[in-house]
Amino acid sequence: MRAVECGACGNQVLCEKFSPAHTQVQWTDEAAEVCPRIREKVAAGELSARVRSCGELRDSIDAAVASGLLEVGGA
Amino acid sequence: MSVQPDVSPQPMSQNEEDVRVIEAAALPTRFARGWHCLGLAESFRDGKPHEIQAFGTKLVVFQGEDDGELHVLNAYCPHMGGNLAHGTVKGNAVACPFHDWRWSGNGKCAGIPYARRVPPRAKTRAWPTLERNKQLYVWNDPEGSKPTDDVTIPEIEGIHGPDAGEWSDWSWHYLRVDNSNCREIVDNVVDMAHFYYVHYAFPEYFKNVFDGHVATQYMESSPRPDIDLGTLSASGGLRSDASYYGPSYMIDKLWADVGGGLEMESVLINCHYPIDENSFMLMYGAIVKKLPGMTDEQAEQAAQATSEGLAVGFEQDVEIWKNKTRIDNPLLTEEDGPVYQLRRWYEQFYVDAADVKDEMVRRFEFEIDTTRANEAWRAEAEANIAARKAAEAQIAAGSGS
Repeated sequence: MRAVECGACGNQVLCEKFSPAHTQVQWTDEAAEVCPRIREKVAAGELSARVRSCGELRDSIDAAVASGLLEVGGA
Repeated sequence: MSVQPDVSPQPMSQNEEDVRVIEAAALPTRFARGWHCLGLAESFRDGKPHEIQAFGTKLVVFQGEDDGELHVLNAYCPHMGGNLAHGTVKGNAVACPFHDWRWSGNGKCAGIPYARRVPPRAKTRAWPTLERNKQLYVWNDPEGSKPTDDVTIPEIEGIHGPDAGEWSDWSWHYLRVDNSNCREIVDNVVDMAHFYYVHYAFPEYFKNVFDGHVATQYMESSPRPDIDLGTLSASGGLRSDASYYGPSYMIDKLWADVGGGLEMESVLINCHYPIDENSFMLMYGAIVKKLPGMTDEQAEQAAQATSEGLAVGFEQDVEIWKNKTRIDNPLLTEEDGPVYQLRRWYEQFYVDAADVKDEMVRRFEFEIDTTRANEAWRAEAEANIAARKAAEAQIAAGSGS
């Protein structure tokens, strides 16, 4: 797993991609605290677990793949 | 002592180190901390005490005659061990059939008609209860702590919301599963491929999110064209958004394409409570949102049909579980879901609250690439249809000659 930093908030997560469509994300801090987007939903009464994903983080993971920082199918 | 999986002796020539050996530690000796649904609340409101075999013991559920509340106590009377579930409700207490000792919903002895005084320590275990979504839940905690608000069972909007009138009532079913630990059903949360083989659907989109005490499965699927289940839910595409809130209670929101640009919205419950370490009571139910022009009766029928479709699915699961072995070291491909991470999440309910590790509750996301799997499955389904057509043509040709 490789560390990927979110371009929007600077939070770091650990990522792995077996293929372009596969994505694994391991958060290393409390998502509801470190991700402003999830924090916003939690403030509105949603459980952080019920937020499917953070769009900004997804974009950052795609960017990490495009820049070669995150290898697809790599160990 | 664990039951060792049945491994047949290997041929002498085979190198033992090349063979994958199934590992299975002893079954857990404790039961998960969390809310467990016991069924529809209404089913306990007949004025009688009800016996529930759960958590390796027996419980009694009864409704107080004056307070109207549902209470859950240990079934066995601390006096001489009589079974309160075979007794009677008297006022707000349940009376033991053996010597008529009365037990209140809070566990205190409410009276012993033949005795001059009640012993000072006459208190039995009262289990915390919650009534919501027209269901009754009981809290299990081996450490004896009370439930907190952050792990409560959420309200289902179709039950309590302003548009509750647009939803059908619950259809509800019980299925006792023996010789199987309830971890088997929880494993289904991540098991993408079994939806094709066991439930006859193409899972086209599949993502899991584990965070805190909640584990979610997002899935989009369509039915296999080579199998006709004859159920409503199998007629078109399906979106499913299913979360376990705690160890045993899943709310599954479903949107089914029923043709004509219409989507049928339903909520399924998939829940269980452990009977003992090697059997559990599986329960499932459904409510459906009335489509425009649908009468109450038609909505009930749709809920019934939906849960009959569920019944087929769960019976297929049970058939697998009762014949499979427990496996702690599953051998996985990239198309299999995150079984190990799911079990890491599930582990939080089996350790003391103080021993819940960050890794068990930290957010984890896993989106499977379903492309390769669906290509293979589509081809297989088409081959099945072609083979069936060829066989039918042959029969037709034979009868025509």
